[in-house]
Amino acid sequence: MAVIPRGLNYKGIPLWRHTQVIQGALQVISALVAVSLVAWFFLNISGAIRDRDIPYGFSFLSREYQTPIGHHFLPYESSDSFLYAFGVAATNTLLVSIVGVILATALGIFVGVSRMSGNWIVSRAALVYIEFFRNVPLLVQLFFWFYIVLALPQVREGHVIAERIYINNSGISIPWPYAPNLDAGLLFIGLAAIAAFSGLTVHRALVRRETLTGVNSYPVALGISAFVLVAAAAWLFVSVAFGEAPFYVSTPEPQGTFGRPVGGFTAPGGLIALLVGLVIYTSSFIAEIVRAGIQSVGRGQSEAARSLGLPYMKTLRHVTFPQALRVIIPPLISQCLNLTKNSSLAAAIGYSDLTNVAVTMTQTAPAVSIFIMIMLAYLAMSLAYSLVGNVYNRLIRFV
Amino acid sequence: MKGRTAIILVAIMAGLFALIACEEEATPAPEATPVPEVESRLETVMDRGTVICASRDDVPGYGYLDANGNNVGFDIDLCRALATAVLGDPNAIEIRLITAAQRGPTVQSGEVDMLVRTVTWTTSRDAQWGNYAQTMFYDGQGFMVRKDLGIDSALDLKDASVCVTQGTTTELNLQDFSNQYDLNITALTFEDTDLVVAAYESQQCDAFTNDRSQLAAIGSAFENRDDHVILPETISEEPLGPVVPHGDEQWYDIVKTVMGMLIYSEAYGINSGNVPSAETGDTVVDRLFGLSGSYGQETLGISQTAAQDVIRNVGNYGEIYERNLGAGGINLPRENGRNALWADARCTDCPKGGQIYAAPLR
Amino acid sequence: MSSPDTTLQKPVLPPPVIEQGALGWAHANLFSNRFNTTLTVISLAILGIVLWSSLRWLAFESDWTVIATLSGRLIMGPYNTESACPGQDCFWRPQAALLLVTMLLGMGWGIAGGGLTKRYAIGVVAVLAAFSLLPYGLDEMGMDVRLLLLANIPALALGWFLARHTGLGTARWLAILAVGTFVVTLVLLRGVEGIPGMQPVSVNHWGGLMLNLLLAVAGITLSFPLGVGLALGRRSRLPVVKLLCVLFIEIFRGVPLITLLFMSQTLVPLAFPKDFPVNSLMRAGIVITLFSAAYMAENIRGGLQALHRGQTEAAQSLGLKTWQSTMFITLPQAIRNVIPAIVGQFIALFKDTTLVFIIGMQDILTYSRAFIQGNPEFIASAQELFIFLALVFWIFTYSMSHISRRIEEHLGVGRR
Repeated sequence: MAVIPRGLNYKGIPLWRHTQVIQGALQVISALVAVSLVAWFFLNISGAIRDRDIPYGFSFLSREYQTPIGHHFLPYESSDSFLYAFGVAATNTLLVSIVGVILATALGIFVGVSRMSGNWIVSRAALVYIEFFRNVPLLVQLFFWFYIVLALPQVREGHVIAERIYINNSGISIPWPYAPNLDAGLLFIGLAAIAAFSGLTVHRALVRRETLTGVNSYPVALGISAFVLVAAAAWLFVSVAFGEAPFYVSTPEPQGTFGRPVGGFTAPGGLIALLVGLVIYTSSFIAEIVRAGIQSVGRGQSEAARSLGLPYMKTLRHVTFPQALRVIIPPLISQCLNLTKNSSLAAAIGYSDLTNVAVTMTQTAPAVSIFIMIMLAYLAMSLAYSLVGNVYNRLIRFV
Repeated sequence: MKGRTAIILVAIMAGLFALIACEEEATPAPEATPVPEVESRLETVMDRGTVICASRDDVPGYGYLDANGNNVGFDIDLCRALATAVLGDPNAIEIRLITAAQRGPTVQSGEVDMLVRTVTWTTSRDAQWGNYAQTMFYDGQGFMVRKDLGIDSALDLKDASVCVTQGTTTELNLQDFSNQYDLNITALTFEDTDLVVAAYESQQCDAFTNDRSQLAAIGSAFENRDDHVILPETISEEPLGPVVPHGDEQWYDIVKTVMGMLIYSEAYGINSGNVPSAETGDTVVDRLFGLSGSYGQETLGISQTAAQDVIRNVGNYGEIYERNLGAGGINLPRENGRNALWADARCTDCPKGGQIYAAPLR
Repeated sequence: MSSPDTTLQKPVLPPPVIEQGALGWAHANLFSNRFNTTLTVISLAILGIVLWSSLRWLAFESDWTVIATLSGRLIMGPYNTESACPGQDCFWRPQAALLLVTMLLGMGWGIAGGGLTKRYAIGVVAVLAAFSLLPYGLDEMGMDVRLLLLANIPALALGWFLARHTGLGTARWLAILAVGTFVVTLVLLRGVEGIPGMQPVSVNHWGGLMLNLLLAVAGITLSFPLGVGLALGRRSRLPVVKLLCVLFIEIFRGVPLITLLFMSQTLVPLAFPKDFPVNSLMRAGIVITLFSAAYMAENIRGGLQALHRGQTEAAQSLGLKTWQSTMFITLPQAIRNVIPAIVGQFIALFKDTTLVFIIGMQDILTYSRAFIQGNPEFIASAQELFIFLALVFWIFTYSMSHISRRIEEHLGVGRR
């Protein structure tokens, strides 16, 4: 420790140059500024609410919504409450984002790998794809896809595949399972999850045995059979217990004056345009991430694999890609988050996502409250994504 | 984002909820004491030099861009009339373009001086959004379908998919109608009219619902207008008119007065061509145009001769109608319809069969 | 590659595969093995179909008159309409601003002494000059408009001359003049009360591509320093400062921009006193800037985290103060390392300017859609319009990423 010369003039460090004092003061000041800013906004807002008779509060949540929601994955009646309708819309956004994330990741990996291909045409095509789609505003692309979907034949002249799948500009209708008895359906889903788990367990045990002993144990085939066996038993059990099968397949069939397919599952045109737009836009970013990830794996890795005699695809699958994942995952998660947030542009092309429905709600409910709810819903979703990302990151980290 | 951040964010979210919940309980009924007004809206407008109107630019007749890119239409003209009355300049307007769903929040925020965007007058909107000044157009909701579907009644729309604009009374009425007759209608909602039209034209939906006048306006632009038919049923009442933000009585009265001016001068046969600038001897007309007497200009805070400027520059109700919705615009007939005048003011017993009527200016 | 079996029994080798010339290139890149050949054939087939159908659409079905009709208004929006600028011609004002920008480009060329800057400068001016020779468009473009467009050529030359032959030829002066130009542009567009020919034009009438570019430039210049500040704040040792920065960043990153814009439309008027002078242009600018700054902060934080600890320690041991080591040692390196991410964020910001339709601003996308709605004879041309707009955006964004790649090469990122 330095010896401080105790000269005549020395009176210790002056207060205004004392690091701790400065830092403390800085913190206090910034906290004060932030708090007073928030308080100021709050006072202004509550003042405005009082002056202009603006409705506020959350008592509306239990009221009936009484407004149509164009498309909903969960069952919805106009007599349902605001809270439930908000949940229905949030589910729409959530499902769109989950499906979108899966498709965009798949397409992005495909394009990213194509970009690295030795085939000149393929890699150039991937380059053009990436450079075009990520450089054009998503909103422009969504409008474009909206009009492309509209250009499909209309519902009464649409394509029908095997009398089961209907493709037209109102959407795509496909056969879909439905449960006549909700309890039976849920019970079977639970049992099927157990079946899947047991199949996976069998698979893992057999793989382990194979690696340890070298005896060919057919892990895939036996795993699948275990799953099928347990699932079939569950089906039988539920059917006997409830007196009918847990699920039936409902096939879409044109009905009424307008020949619109009823039954099955229909993905409306707006949803298709939204998904196509989101998936293509996001995949162009993911492709670049995948390319950067693959390039980050040392050249020696793939060369070693090739010299062991692994063909190109196997090298990619078993050597390069698993290593690249560590670089790929963090930015990939943030892209998935972007996709979720970008799905709010659905409002522009008429799909009833969270933002779209919530904005409609501001007609009959206090806007201030609605916006707080939207913000919280999106923050919750981004939190969920970050958590998934963190967990995954921890799983694949180098030991 | 680190785990700690996540915790912090969750805490903040919980805090926000608590804050809001407390706020709702803690604040009792709105205080009775009037809040001292810092500046009246009239003064604000005078200082600013423009009247800000929330409107639209996507429906021919009401509010659209003409071929030169100017905002024109019935709603825009109402805004011009207000600007002329207050500032003496029909061009002193600022049009804020909003979608249907943004109307409520926009006028609630008090940021615009007037909302004229084909707004239907309903009690809940009157209570929550702002004050309805005057019904300037009587409309009703109808359906448009293609002729080749062979439908002649809205009750035949069983299981149909119907295109509708988001955040409108039409959207709500459609739901009511569907419930009432058990039609199981699927609503395809779009925020913007161009997408509604595109979806209807390409038959993504079987029918298109809107106020009948807007159906006519939009339909008039279709390539094959004769392939489409507007069904006879009118499923709702849609009185349309300007809305002013809550919280300024004086401004509300000014807007009502200006709307009254337009209607009243038509009833007295004064149009942009024959606005008197000297006493005519007709006391009612002289009072209206500030040549003698008063209808309360001083209290309202507008110029004595405001009506002269308004009618000279913008025209009376009839002229505005003709220019935008009538023969000069989208060709909606007015004679003997609900949007004709209530009565000819110069005649003691001459009903004209319409419902357009304003409080006498005196 | 073919690897012939070279055993004694088989001394005769097949002729070597050609590895040179077009044929050799095709062999190496397209037909090196069976898998590759299949790929080539399949992708050629797909490409053929795509090309064929798009060419057919281009030649026989598409109708581009909507672009020609909109023409200048795509760039200017409603700026020069009667309601925006009653009784006079305001067209010259954005054009004068454009001349200043070209002059800056010329100066940039003069300072950089050729290369990329030169190519972009000449390219921009060539496009502008070509516009002036178009047979129609730009709002029944008069001779004055054409002459002002052509004046970009001397403006470029003037800029180059100023950079080469006066004391203004330094990067510092260029930066000062760039800021000056931005201010002058805003004043020119807004107008000044009482000066003839400079009648004020409400920002509500600013629109078209001009609005997108203005918002993007303002957003980029403001969000960058803000992002740096937030990134430093987030790494600060002071818990309160850190918490505030984290909160700001995560809230703005967690919510879609479209929602933030909606909120700015409905909540901001409530949150500020009644006559707080916030117009829609400022509001859009502020929201986009804050949103972008949150992302920028995360990018820069990534760069800071990637820096080796030794850098700060070396700076400290040299006796640099904390702010000195941040400003001169860590930040420059961190920023250099994340240039691609930063430019990516700039591009995203530019693309996001299309979302201002929510607060009623008439950017290029909104304005052209409104035009189609008001003039329904063009409704059938919506696809052409969107393709054209996509191309316009693509040209700008692609140039941005191209320039960033060149800067990276110039700075030698990843090679030091």
